[in-house]
Amino acid sequence: MSASPESGPNPPDTDLSFSSTSSLESQANASDNNRCSHIREAMADGPSRAQIVTKYKAVISWTVNRTQDVLHPAKRRKISSPTCDVCELTLSRPFACLHCSFAGCWSNAHVGMHLKNEGHGFCVDVKSGSIFCGECDDFIYDATMDSIYLSTVVSAEEKQTKFQVKKKGREPFRPWIPSDKERVALEGTVALPCQGRRGLLNLGQTCFLNVVLQAFVHNPLLRNYFLSDKHNNQLCAKPPGCTSCEMDKLFAQIYSNSAIPHGPTSFLATTWRASAELSGYKQQDAHEFFISALNQIHNTSRGSTNVSCNCIIHSTFAGQLQSDVKCERCGNVTSTVDPMLDISLELKEKAGEVTSGENTLAACLRRYTQPEKLGAKEYSCGKCNKASHVSEASKRLSIRKLPPVLSFQFKRFEHKTTDKSSAQKIDAPVRFPASFNMAPYTTLVMNLKGKETERENERGGVPALSYPGPEAMYEYDLFAVINHEGQIDNGHYTNYARFQDEWYRFDDDKVTNSNLGACLNSPAYMCFYVKRHLDYKPDMTPTYVQTRENEAVREKELEKEKERARNKEVEDALLATV
Amino acid sequence: MPSKNDTEALYAQVQRKLVESGEWDRIQLILMNKLNESGWTDDLRHRSKENARDMEPLSFRVLLKGLAPHIQTSIPPAIRKEMMAVIRQYVEKQFE
Repeated sequence: MSASPESGPNPPDTDLSFSSTSSLESQANASDNNRCSHIREAMADGPSRAQIVTKYKAVISWTVNRTQDVLHPAKRRKISSPTCDVCELTLSRPFACLHCSFAGCWSNAHVGMHLKNEGHGFCVDVKSGSIFCGECDDFIYDATMDSIYLSTVVSAEEKQTKFQVKKKGREPFRPWIPSDKERVALEGTVALPCQGRRGLLNLGQTCFLNVVLQAFVHNPLLRNYFLSDKHNNQLCAKPPGCTSCEMDKLFAQIYSNSAIPHGPTSFLATTWRASAELSGYKQQDAHEFFISALNQIHNTSRGSTNVSCNCIIHSTFAGQLQSDVKCERCGNVTSTVDPMLDISLELKEKAGEVTSGENTLAACLRRYTQPEKLGAKEYSCGKCNKASHVSEASKRLSIRKLPPVLSFQFKRFEHKTTDKSSAQKIDAPVRFPASFNMAPYTTLVMNLKGKETERENERGGVPALSYPGPEAMYEYDLFAVINHEGQIDNGHYTNYARFQDEWYRFDDDKVTNSNLGACLNSPAYMCFYVKRHLDYKPDMTPTYVQTRENEAVREKELEKEKERARNKEVEDALLATV
Repeated sequence: MPSKNDTEALYAQVQRKLVESGEWDRIQLILMNKLNESGWTDDLRHRSKENARDMEPLSFRVLLKGLAPHIQTSIPPAIRKEMMAVIRQYVEKQFE
């Protein structure tokens, strides 16, 4: 079990940003006119708030720990299982009162009756953390509690995670708390209303560029990086043609208070300069541009390296792919690990074919990680050493390291020859989910599958998961989809992207409200998923910043020396005249 | 012929064994994964969101009531069959 803690960029996880700053908290709640008045009152009173929050956190932590015990048991022990205080049924979905130790069923109004009878205000669905208000007789939303839910779950998960390097536990997430200087700076700022959603003008067959840029704009890690001013285009020393500067300018445009479509002309010009194949006003492949842009941003990032780079691109997209070649004769396995920025998946059909059954993302991934027999001439086993024989071997791919953002491309264009224009398009629809779990396709889990003990089957039950949890380490949520309609040389790209809970459709300059159903039914070419909960390395100053600071100190010293030397010369000269 | 009370008592006993052993949650995880891969989960997510969007005043009970018929009838038969088999296998082993 050698997976090391993943690196994440330093800005805090997208949803947790405001949990600690109380003035921003009350801002979030104050603007919600529909907020339940009962929770508002309860949270305004010190002791009442403390009691509710303490109970809530305890209940949520209990659930996360119980789930871990059930799915990934460290040792066999009896699972804590409360019963309903009204009907005594063992609770498969407990509702806990936030004011006393009562637990009960939702159905048959057992918990509802308790709230009424005892005059207690709130109870919580332990599984989802949803709070139910007895007075409103409905589930309610409170921004503070929502934020507490997330931080409690993440904290409990962090303690459970068994990926360890050198016996260290997982780095706990620390929310950003502004320093006094930062607080003053924040208070002096003026908030600009901005949508964060702007169309992009088509500059002549540039829809391929627009869809990839929208996928970047809606990528939470890229967004946080550039909005945190980590690559300021006005301070960058690079000559014109810095793609990272173009990204900074793009984010500034998108998050301005202009709602009219933006024309990404300088981004296009920089792309042409960087890559000859992508230049000229003709339709390009969006995936090709995507990979090229990633490389360009990486190249123009401060402190990027060729090996184990931690630039924003590698921090966001880089995973590791493991290829295991097994000799069928002696069982010897040779493994190689390669970096990957995205995954390209083959579809079941060939162009023009219609087969039964659907292409789903899961099925494509199963196909991708299926062992494949290597041709007789392709492999000779080092161990078997039958010089005259060439052994039979199989190759199997698996994901060794999961990146924070997973990008998938469905290979719809099969090139019959090297001439691109003779390629045919595979139009078969692919079904992909809004959320899913990558565990079954990871090296860790795939290697453990062979060794699973069958002990649970004696009791007729479902075996517990043999790989370490928590599940959130493997779970991803969809945030952008790039669509392609038409043929390879006569088609059009559009995209869907999600902001928090809402989906939008982007067709060059036209941005419209949309919904999950429309997105999932669209003809997908590329899909982008982000890990539900990120994991972090300890905060470190990047080496180039350290170097820069050391340089600055050294320069100051040198100046002082020069000053002293000059003064001494003047003194000596004066003395000489005496 | 078992009385209603007997059936209820048996149900409570089976439920208790399922929950206390953690089997309930493991079975539910399998069900959730199957439903997700079939697209059922996303379809429900979409329907509930769109129903809630235009509901005034928004109420969980009304939302649940409106979706209940669809939920009851839309579970793909193949998944229903597979899950029944899993549950049956466990219960039979427990009460042999």
